[in-house]
Amino acid sequence: MRTRGFPPPDTDPAGAGALLSVDGLVKQFPGVRALDGVTLSVRPGEVHCLLGQNGAGKSTLIKVLSGAHTPDAGMIRWRGRPVAFPTPLAALRAGLATIYQELDLVDGLTVAENVFLGHERSRFGFSLRTKGNAEAAALLRRLGHPDIAPGRPLGTLPAAGRQIVSMARALSYDARLIVMDEPSAVLDAGEVDTLFRVVRQLTADGVAVVYISHRLDEIRQIGDRVTVLKDGRTVAAGLPARTTTTAELVRLMTGRTVEYAFGERAGPARRRELLRVNGLGRAGEFADVSFTVHSGEIVGLAGLVGSGRTEIVETVYGARRPTTGTVTVDGRRLRPGSVRAAVRAGLGLCPEERKSQGLFGEDPVYRNVSVASLARYATAGFVAPARELAAAARALTDLDVRPGDPRRPVRTLSGGNQQKVVLARWLVRGCRLLVLDEPTRGVDVGARTELYRLIRRLAADGVGVLLVSSEIPEVLGLADRVLVVADGRVVHEAPAADLTEADVLDLVLAERDTSGWQRANQGHSAVVPHDRSEEPT
Amino acid sequence: MSAPAVPDERVAAVSPVRRLLVRPELGALIGAVVVFVFFALLSSTFRSADGVANWLDPASTLGIMAVAVALLMIGGEFDLSAGVLTGTTGLAVTILATRFGLNVWLAVLLSLVLALAVGLANGYVVTRTKLPSFIVTLGMFLVLQGLNLGVTKLLTGNVLVGGLVGRSGFDSAHLVFASSVVLGGTYFKVSIVWWLVLTVLATLVLLRTRFGNWVFAVGGDANAARKVGVPATRTSMALFATTATAAWLVGTITALRNTSAQADAGVGDELTFIVAAVIGGCLLTGGFGSAVGASLGALIFGMTSVGIVYAGWDADWYKLFLGAMLLLAVFANQFVRRYAERRRRS
Repeated sequence: MRTRGFPPPDTDPAGAGALLSVDGLVKQFPGVRALDGVTLSVRPGEVHCLLGQNGAGKSTLIKVLSGAHTPDAGMIRWRGRPVAFPTPLAALRAGLATIYQELDLVDGLTVAENVFLGHERSRFGFSLRTKGNAEAAALLRRLGHPDIAPGRPLGTLPAAGRQIVSMARALSYDARLIVMDEPSAVLDAGEVDTLFRVVRQLTADGVAVVYISHRLDEIRQIGDRVTVLKDGRTVAAGLPARTTTTAELVRLMTGRTVEYAFGERAGPARRRELLRVNGLGRAGEFADVSFTVHSGEIVGLAGLVGSGRTEIVETVYGARRPTTGTVTVDGRRLRPGSVRAAVRAGLGLCPEERKSQGLFGEDPVYRNVSVASLARYATAGFVAPARELAAAARALTDLDVRPGDPRRPVRTLSGGNQQKVVLARWLVRGCRLLVLDEPTRGVDVGARTELYRLIRRLAADGVGVLLVSSEIPEVLGLADRVLVVADGRVVHEAPAADLTEADVLDLVLAERDTSGWQRANQGHSAVVPHDRSEEPT
Repeated sequence: MSAPAVPDERVAAVSPVRRLLVRPELGALIGAVVVFVFFALLSSTFRSADGVANWLDPASTLGIMAVAVALLMIGGEFDLSAGVLTGTTGLAVTILATRFGLNVWLAVLLSLVLALAVGLANGYVVTRTKLPSFIVTLGMFLVLQGLNLGVTKLLTGNVLVGGLVGRSGFDSAHLVFASSVVLGGTYFKVSIVWWLVLTVLATLVLLRTRFGNWVFAVGGDANAARKVGVPATRTSMALFATTATAAWLVGTITALRNTSAQADAGVGDELTFIVAAVIGGCLLTGGFGSAVGASLGALIFGMTSVGIVYAGWDADWYKLFLGAMLLLAVFANQFVRRYAERRRRS
């Protein structure tokens, strides 16, 4: 097995001088060998990126490192000594902190109380609040965020601020290594910059960071070295992050050479106008949005998180009630703010937050597929499960959902397959216009390609698609026509073929400069409702 | 991409006014003031010193329980057996002192042991099985209700146990738990002192101690708390023991005051405690609330129950009034929470 013997360009032999070195790590779960020989070596003060598709073993690896799981075989050396952390707390106390996407923070407590939760600054059981606040403030200053008040209730902080608090907590245990599991997934572009500044601050202090992300551009920006996992094994260790080519990294992750594989563009086959949005607006969110989607056409909305993309498509779908404008499907105006009307007219939404908005996690796959068209399987109001199951099974085969067992709880499927289940739901219903909000979020590279093919195929079958994505190459590669959204307005519309990634970024950022820092503006208006009057309506 | 170097205003400090607005007890404070002014305008007796002493009395026994229940609710659990446990402890004191001839102080002590056993049993089953405390303590509620009636009738053949007067230790115990304090010619029940002391103590514990921090953390997100080393199980157990202790205190006060105990005492009160805590700003989901708020909630109850009589109305209207108060309070809480969430999303 390839568990050792890599000659990575700049690893010192036997991991001498390494802060953390992992060798031949194995973790067996019932039926799955999640880790099958992982090698990893992290040096003090470096940003070590961990790459791999979903299911490659990244999550298991960090859980083993952090003491949440016990490895079945292999060696973990921490600061030169072999260790086996029995609990996450033991790892934390030894200076190895892990920051998961679901942050272990408590809303009801203040920032400082969260930082010192479990190791409170106290004497005889009484909190030393002044001391705790002062120490928290010092940690936040060290992270470059003196602007976060230690006494502030955590619940009032946005996602980016919460991450900073998590890092302050890690530092409060004098962490030498912080593992960050997809920290950028919940952040917008500006916040990612802030995160990177903080990471650089940490590494300048000699703290090492293990950084996990699906976004290759980020790895190039922040990473020093990269370790790639595939099928529970290390397939490359300690590659230089800046100079290894994207093609090489993708090849290592997938075992095949996949660039952005969007398939052939069928050409702008404008057949029939399906959807017409006219002057749509919602006070404080977006204004004066007009566009059309034809059958067989893919229209992309490109823009940053917080630009109003999601709000626009949700309003089209009837989940939000517009303050101005109309939505017309097949020449008939939809009742504003009614999802029921939209679904009846043939719309289907694959929402941004798959788990919380799109799926019934504990329910079996087939239920998740049939839920939008139950009437079809019902006689006198009683659903016939056999018919439901059969229809779902056909759709699952059609979309190549794996595993194909329709009775499995849907939460046990991988991200890409869950997304296919949501798609299957609308296909079974015979939906004519699909609204896809971030369809590939949390979906690994291989499954992405499949989803792209599927979306293309749907369009070829005459379904109109309205696509929202933060990944500009995805919108450009997939869509026929692109609307660039910035600050709640459509600032540009053009055929995808006429646009480059740089064009779109320019448009988005130019708009941001002229209209002021729109995120800050938004934050303000949410606190003081009157400020909304300053925004165009 | 040039990110602004200026401090981000989204993470700036919160203004004092807004901080006051999201205080859990604000709604209860306004409610208490409104109720007081309302009845004070209707009845001069209500606003007299005697009147105040009169409505502080029911508020005090309720308040002792509401404060303890609020702590438990902030810690994310319920105790439906707390009401009937006030009956159980009162019966225990009375039966042990009269039927078994124990010294009243010894009876009171044994009653406390019994209460702690019940509280710790609740806590153990809840933390061990991870079943909702709502169900577990509902079971305990029915068990105790049955025991109260069954044991009382078995031992005394009656549903009322009396005869505490004159037993050894009664006078001193009565002084501590059930006497009155004269203040400017007005008799105030000593239970009011217990109530105020407990409210201050609970507030101190919640806001100034490590344990208080744990209570908020366990109620807010028990898993997150556990992961950073908060002893979540011990915290929950301690909270169940606290409500049981409060029930013992109230049971003892009531028994010594009446010099007797009734087998059906306390049944139905458990919801009143929860309502007072909720009016005081506790969320049913845990992690948020205040002891002072729960006390204010109890005060509203006390003022209403007595005020209605002073106003010359039929006491039957009492529950309607309280129902309206509860709904208003939860609307206010909901508003505050939405407000907080809106700010978070920004």
